[in-house]
Parts: sequence; structure tokens; C-alpha cells
Amino acid sequence: MLANFKISLFFICNLCLLVLANSSEQFDEELSIKSLQDGKVASKFSFKTLLKGASPKDPRTLGTDDESQHYTLFPLGLGQILREYGVTELHLTLNAGNWNYGRWGYPEEKGVGPGAELWVWMGDGAPNSIDHRWKGLRNALAGLFCASLGSLDEQCTTSPVRSFSPEGVLPDWDLPHQIRHASLPSEHVCTENLTPFLKLLPCKSLSGIASLLNPHRLFDADWHGMGIHVLWRGKEGIEVRLTFQSIMDPSRSSSKQKQDWSLQSLFDRAIDRTCPIAHSSLISVSLPSSGAHSITPEPSRVDSGSAIFDVATVPKPFNAAMNWPSDFEYQYDTSLTPLKIQRTLKGSSQARGQLSLVIANHGQVSQQVVYLETMPWLVQFYLHTLKTSVNGAESDAVISNITYIPAIPHSRPTTFEAVLLLPARSTTRLTMDVTKAFLRYTEHPPDAQRGWDLPPAVFTPIHGGQSQNATAGLPSERIYTPALLVDLATPDFSMPYNVIIFSCSLMAFLFGSIFNLLTRRFVVVHVGSGKQE
Amino acid sequence: MSSMDSHSPPQDAQNAPKQPSTALRDPSKLFYQSDGVHRSIIASYWAVILLAVPLWWYTTSIERLSLPQSRVYSQAENHLRLPVRICLVAGDQQLAGQLQDSIQQHVAKASERWNGLKIDVLQQGQCNSNDGSYSVIPSDKGITLEARQLSYPLADGSSVSKLVDTLSALIVPYSAASEQEHRVAQYSPRYRLSFSLLNEDAAAGKAIIGWDVEQAINRYIHPILSRLSTLHNFTIESQVQFHAPLAFTPQELDVAYALTSEDLTVFVNSAEWTLSSSASNDPVLHFVLFIPSSDRRPLKIANADGSLSASGAFLLPQWGGIVIHNPTPQDVPSDTDLPPTDLDQVFSVFSNQLLALLGVPHLPVGVQRGVSEREALITDWQLDALLRRRALENAEGAQDTLRSIVKLVDQIENMPVGEDVKGDVQDALAALDKMYASSRTSLEQAFRYSAQALTLASRAFFNPGMLALLYFPTEHRVAVYTPLFASALVPLFVAVLKEFFAWRRQRKLLLANS
Repeated sequence: MLANFKISLFFICNLCLLVLANSSEQFDEELSIKSLQDGKVASKFSFKTLLKGASPKDPRTLGTDDESQHYTLFPLGLGQILREYGVTELHLTLNAGNWNYGRWGYPEEKGVGPGAELWVWMGDGAPNSIDHRWKGLRNALAGLFCASLGSLDEQCTTSPVRSFSPEGVLPDWDLPHQIRHASLPSEHVCTENLTPFLKLLPCKSLSGIASLLNPHRLFDADWHGMGIHVLWRGKEGIEVRLTFQSIMDPSRSSSKQKQDWSLQSLFDRAIDRTCPIAHSSLISVSLPSSGAHSITPEPSRVDSGSAIFDVATVPKPFNAAMNWPSDFEYQYDTSLTPLKIQRTLKGSSQARGQLSLVIANHGQVSQQVVYLETMPWLVQFYLHTLKTSVNGAESDAVISNITYIPAIPHSRPTTFEAVLLLPARSTTRLTMDVTKAFLRYTEHPPDAQRGWDLPPAVFTPIHGGQSQNATAGLPSERIYTPALLVDLATPDFSMPYNVIIFSCSLMAFLFGSIFNLLTRRFVVVHVGSGKQE
Repeated sequence: MSSMDSHSPPQDAQNAPKQPSTALRDPSKLFYQSDGVHRSIIASYWAVILLAVPLWWYTTSIERLSLPQSRVYSQAENHLRLPVRICLVAGDQQLAGQLQDSIQQHVAKASERWNGLKIDVLQQGQCNSNDGSYSVIPSDKGITLEARQLSYPLADGSSVSKLVDTLSALIVPYSAASEQEHRVAQYSPRYRLSFSLLNEDAAAGKAIIGWDVEQAINRYIHPILSRLSTLHNFTIESQVQFHAPLAFTPQELDVAYALTSEDLTVFVNSAEWTLSSSASNDPVLHFVLFIPSSDRRPLKIANADGSLSASGAFLLPQWGGIVIHNPTPQDVPSDTDLPPTDLDQVFSVFSNQLLALLGVPHLPVGVQRGVSEREALITDWQLDALLRRRALENAEGAQDTLRSIVKLVDQIENMPVGEDVKGDVQDALAALDKMYASSRTSLEQAFRYSAQALTLASRAFFNPGMLALLYFPTEHRVAVYTPLFASALVPLFVAVLKEFFAWRRQRKLLLANS
């Protein structure tokens, strides 16, 4: 009997799980705070849950009943979604603002693209196609995080393998793995996204470091963003990392020009209670390399330039603070990153334009980067107009290894991936003509006159081969450009009935004239000879 | 515009040769000014419009496939009647007749309760133990159940009426009026069972930070699930939460904190507790083990008279069960896992709650399980009663749903009916037919078809395609394009009328001339 077989299978699965259950789950939380050279304070919360010994769901088993899921620290809502759609690796970031690489350096978490960005690696071979699962996953995550991820549809989905290589391990299933990537720069991140995010944490925002996550302060920051990263660490297990990064400006709230901060001044809260199930709970504060400063209370230990507090042992309520005796002085013209990238869309017409890219490499060494452009179909490239120049002199050697997947109107975006070789201390320019689409009236977004947000371009430095200079701070990261705004021809949505009536009248007039002309009888009227008749 | 003077052409035709002085050509001599061409131009306009009307009609009409209405209505007249055969072993003819009469009286008294069942009392010779009939064996050792067998002390005639009472409690344990009935969750082919260990506030200390849930589920829940596998499939998930605050403050008494019955209705704090994953649309049955915060222990449920209830468990109808567990201070020096004895206690409550939520009836008082039944949680009698109940419910539900679809589609003319809706309705009807056919032979089969019919009927009813045009009626479209249609059609009508009058005048003229 099939039912019997199912039951026995059930028990076998449970036996397997019993074996697995011995390996437990581990939760680590960390907050790192760093004062930046422009006087702002960068903070990063990281909540890491490790499901020891677990492995991602094999996509070939997706059609059958899943075994029971028992979680202690791992978020159940997210875990079930990952299993339901057979996701191996997932990265979801929801950010607000543009990350200023020059002033703030590289972020601790790479994903700082404006708006929402979601990319996943999934194994093929399930009864349902990858695109089908990708759609389901988007909608499930949209529901979980109250974000409009459902609109990350086929029109913005691409598969950029070179720029988004897996951060964890891909299981060895003899199955091809595929990436799906989509970004939605117009997504606004706010409290409604933070609330479900906090619910995924074992201690919510009620104890431990997570209690500092105060939405009033976080969403008031100059830049803020949250991230959900799921990856497989091979034998170690599945890791879920929930992160929240923010850039705050302490001088904005104080009357004096000082960069002093404390947990209380940054988050308007102090830590009252320890999260009882956290394996480790650390706050690390980067100490400035020079200048007089003081940190209170005395850190638990100082480790390679940062003071570390162990939240479990420090006296409560805990409020770390950092003070400088002197006022803050702004330093100009010191870019923290060797690359400075400007991307603009030129041209005032609503039909045509030019995409222009200016990349300055201040570094002492030449640098190879992968340049990725994912463009919705409403902006289409003329690839033959692609021109590159280095320091003003035209040069074709800059660009190589071009992958180009042209857009299909109303369905597929453009993927343009190329390797750029940026010589040391040079400025490279790229220009390409683009054409802007004429949309159907139902395709316009609600606020049509505002224009369309275009996703950021992504630059990924290539390592190896090139001579690397560790001290020069060569990027080991992804660099996102700011999003662009494109102005398309937009109908007047304010009075649709007037438009309909006007055009109907015009049509009726033209029709009537032609019809009359065809059916009219012409006679010759003799003026003056009429009396003779 | 004066040139449209239609009786002038014949005169012009006569006059024209008399005016050789003008260099102008006579317009009426032009081929496109002839009557025939004129009329064919107008006719072709109208032909195009008339030919386009069906096309316009076709492209703007809503796909409304006809539903098998008469079949749905005739099907709704049918009522499922499940046969129940009671076989009296070692009884004489008279006793069987007595039993039959007694049961008939019983049924007549509480016809609602016996609705849908057809009772037959058989003699020993007619019995067939393989067709799911129940046998009653006289014995002197008290009332015992053994598979589908009931041993009953049949001493004299008065015991027959008692036997009938027992039989009715076994065969139709549900009474429609009972409040217990509202607890039972609506039928679904698949349920998600979600077990949650909620600490009100783990940071306050002395929390329960883990439980051996797999083992407990294997021991207490799986036997039930495998026994009910003919009725439902189950998905199980569990989680632990460390901060699950209540939405209210419990009343503080001298010895304990108390929850009043009003508190219990708002006990579940759905805003703060995420109790189940939303990975599927299956209905969820929740089982919550709630550990009060260490500074609010013990938390007890207060009875209506103000005394504290000994049990910390309560059931939310159709939603799930909740157990409030107060760890004793000596048990929990600091954060620990749930001790095995407490776990057993909690899960035996959960298993009872699960049985109640799924509608498994209790055995009547005084009925004992036989030797072979001691281990089984649910006897065949209970399972059969549940199957019969669900089959009848599903059959009725499917018929109601089908009737509602037909009615709804009849009432709302803008509602599209696609191929999938029609297919589902037809399949549901077919499943109902099969259910009737198999109801005589196999209860399990009949139940399966009833479940299938219900699933298909609800899928048809909730088909999203049926809503598509509900909010944009055809009148709107016509209204929007009136400025085009009206102003374009007026010249067409005028042209036809003019041409018609011209033709009549011309004919009159011809008649007068002749």
C-alpha cells in the first residue's frame, strides 16, 4: 500500500533527523562600530545562525513530501521557504541611499546597491523549472518581508554568473546550478520591512544586541540597509546571516562639531539584558589609529585595533561611548577606494540618450574589473556605438570578454557583462548610445511622471594574475553605482476620459470628412445664368 | 453643401449640352458620381460595419462556458446513504427482529443524528466479516470492543435497548447540537501541524530553551497520524521562541497569576508570535507550549468561580491547542531543556487536543477495549464513525458548493467561466457519481471520492479567473467609446436616409413621367 510505504518513509526520515538533531544550532551576534573619516559613524549588526550539519534541499526531491522541520534558533518562516523552493544560496538586501565608497570605504557587507536586490543560486533538476521556483520564491519573500519583491519579475531577472559567484559552497549533486538575480532600485525600505526582519531573530529586539535595533534611529540614518544571506558552508551546515548596516551622523544631533558617540546617542537605547541563547555576543569598536580619544567603559579586550566588549559579561545596562577631546576636522580629497565611478545617462530627448561611464583609478596598479550592466528593456543599447577611451585617447584594449544578452521588449532585460582593464592612475571613459522605449499605457508605473529607476551597474574586481598590493586597499568587493533615473515618453494620465473623448472626436471628424467626400454629389452651379433657367 | 441636391442631376443632364460655352465638365457624368457607385459606396460602408459587428461581439464577449446546470441540480437532490450492517452472532431470529425494531425507534426519535445512514440488522448466516459489518456477540464479561466486534451481555429483552444505546453511541457518536462539534477543524486533505515552544521572556532567566520534540512527536503524534492516514496527510514543523510576550497582563493573585476566560480568548498574540511558516496554503493546527516568564510563575487558568484550574491546557476551536507549563523552581535552576517527564505530559495533552480537533469521537462510557485494541489509539469503530461523518460532510459540502457556483454564474452576467472551471465542475460531479456507486461496497472509497469532489468543487469556486472582469462591466466600455461611435454613425445614417429619399423621389418622378 502506498500509504504504508509513505509512513515507513516518514519514520525513516525521522530517524535520519534524530541523528541530525544531535548536531545543534548556534547563534552568534555581533555589532561593529567604526568612526569614519568624514565624521560619520558606521555600524553593522550581524546575527548569524548556523544549522549545523544540515544541507540544502536536493531539488530532485522537491516534488515529494518534505520531512518534518524542527528548528530551535533557525528562523522557521525562512527555513520553510528555502526548502519549499530548493534554494541553495540566497542574498536579499534592502537598502536606502547611495553608499559613498570614496568617503566611507568598502562596506563590511558587500550588498549595498540602492533599493532591493535579490540573488539566489538554485540547483536544476526539480520537477518545476528554476524560473517557476524563482517566481514562487520572490512572492514568498515578498510576503515574509512585506517588500514589493513580487515585482522583481522576468523583466528584471538576469543570470550574471561572473559578477555574483556563490559565497558559500554549492553541493555536489551532479546537477547544474543556476543563478537568478534581480534588483529593484525604486523599493523603499522602512519599518514594515524591519519588523518581520526582527521576528526572524531568536531574541527578536527584546534582549541582547538586537535590542539596539530601534527603527526610529535606524531609518533616520544617512544610509541604512538590511540583508538576509543564506549560504551553505559545506560540512559546517547552513548559515543564515541577518545584517543591518547604517551610517549615522553624530554631529547632526549635537550642537558641537564633534564625532563623539555612544550607544545611547546612536540608537537611543542601551543594552539591558543579554540574549540567553547567544553563543557569542560581541560589540567591537574600531579604534582610530591616531589622535587622542577615550572609550568607556573599559573594553573586555583590545584586538588588532578594535576594542571588543562581551555583552554577556559587561555590567548592565551597557552603554559604550567614544569621546574625542577636540572638535572634528574634515579632511578633503582622500578617497578611501582606488576606484571612483560615475555613471550617467545623457541626452534630453525622450527617445534617445547616451550612457556614459567615467572610471578613475587612483591606484598605483592597474586593475581588472568585471563590469555588469543589467538594464530593463525600456532602455536598449546600441552596442556598435560603444566607445572607450583612456585619459582622452581612444583605446579598444580597455574592454574585453563581452557577454551581451539583448533585451526582448516587454519580457527580458539586457545583460551586458565585460572585463575592463583600468591602467594605474588613469581615467577611463565608456559611452554607448541607447534608445528609450515607448511604453504601452498599462506598463507605466503609478507615478509615471517621476520616471523609471534603472538598476545600478556592478563592478567586481578580478583577483589573481595582477600584482596585488595589499596596502593600497585593493577592492575585494563589489562596487555598486548609484541608480539612474530615465525619463520616458509619458502620456497625460491626469484626465484619461478627456484624452479619449478628444481623440474620438478627431477620429469622428476625419471619418466624417472622408465619408462625405466619397458620397457627396457635385453639381456645377452657374452663377449669373441661373435666371435663364 | 447645396450640391447635395439630389433631384438636380437629371435636369443637369438635360441642361448640360445646352451650355457649350462652359469649359467645365458635367460632374454628374463622372463615373463616381453615378447613382450606382454612390449607393455601393454607402452599402460597402454598411457592409463593413455589419460584418464587423460579429467580430466585435466575439472579441469583446466574455468566455462563459455553459456549466452542467441540470446535472448539478439533480445531483443536489441526491443524498448519500451509507449502509451500516450490524450482525447479531449467535442470536435467535426473535432477538434480531427486536434489535431491528428497537433501532428503528431510536432512529425515528433522533433522525437528524442518523441522517445519511442505513441500518441493517443481519442474522448470523448472512454475515460477512470482510465487508465492514459490525458483529455483536453475546458475552458475560462486560462490554468490550475487538476490531469491529462488540461483545455485549445480552441477558434479557431490556438489555436490547441498552445495546441500542451503546451501538448508537459507537456508530453515531456525534450529536449535531453539541458544542464540541464546533471544535472540529474543517476537512482538508492536508494539514500542517505546527508545534511551538514559546518562552514568554527567556531573558528573565529560568527558561526552557529546548525540547526533544522529534521523540515526543514519534511517540504521541505519529501513531495518530498513521491511523488517520486514510483521511488526511500531515506536514509537521516545530520551532522554539524565546520572546513571546502576551498582549495583556495576567491578574496577580496571592499564590499565582491567573488567566480569566476572557484572557484566554485573546491569549494568542498573533502580532508578536509567528507560529507557523507561510510556505503553503494548507490549514494549520497549532500546538503551543507556553512557558510563562520566570517572574510570572505560576500562571494558572482561573475557573468561572474564581478558583484556579489544575490543568494548564485549553483548546481554541479549529485553531489548535495551548498548554501552559510552569516549571517548578527546583526543576529549573537555570536555562534548560524541557525534562522528559514534562514533555510526556505535554504531548499527551497535545495528542488529545489533536484528536478533538480532527473530530475523532470518544468511546462511550463503560465500553472497554479488547486485548488487541489496547495498543491502538483509535478503534475501528471510532475511525469508521469519523469516516462516515467526513464523507457525509464532504458530500454535502461539494453539492452546496456546486450549487452555489451555478447560482452565482447565473446571477452575475459579467462573470467569466473558463475551461478549468467547467472541467473542475464536471470532475466534481463525476467524483460524486463514483461516490454514490461505491458507497454500498466500501466506506473508504466513498470517503475518498467525497473528498475529491469537495476539493474540486472548492477549487472551481475559488478560481481566480472568475473574478477577472467583475469590476469592469461592458457598459463602461460602451460609454467610453460613445463619442467615437455616435459621431461616426450619424453621417452614415444620414447618408442612407438621403439616398433612400432620393431613390423614392426618383421613382415617383419616373412613374409620373410614364
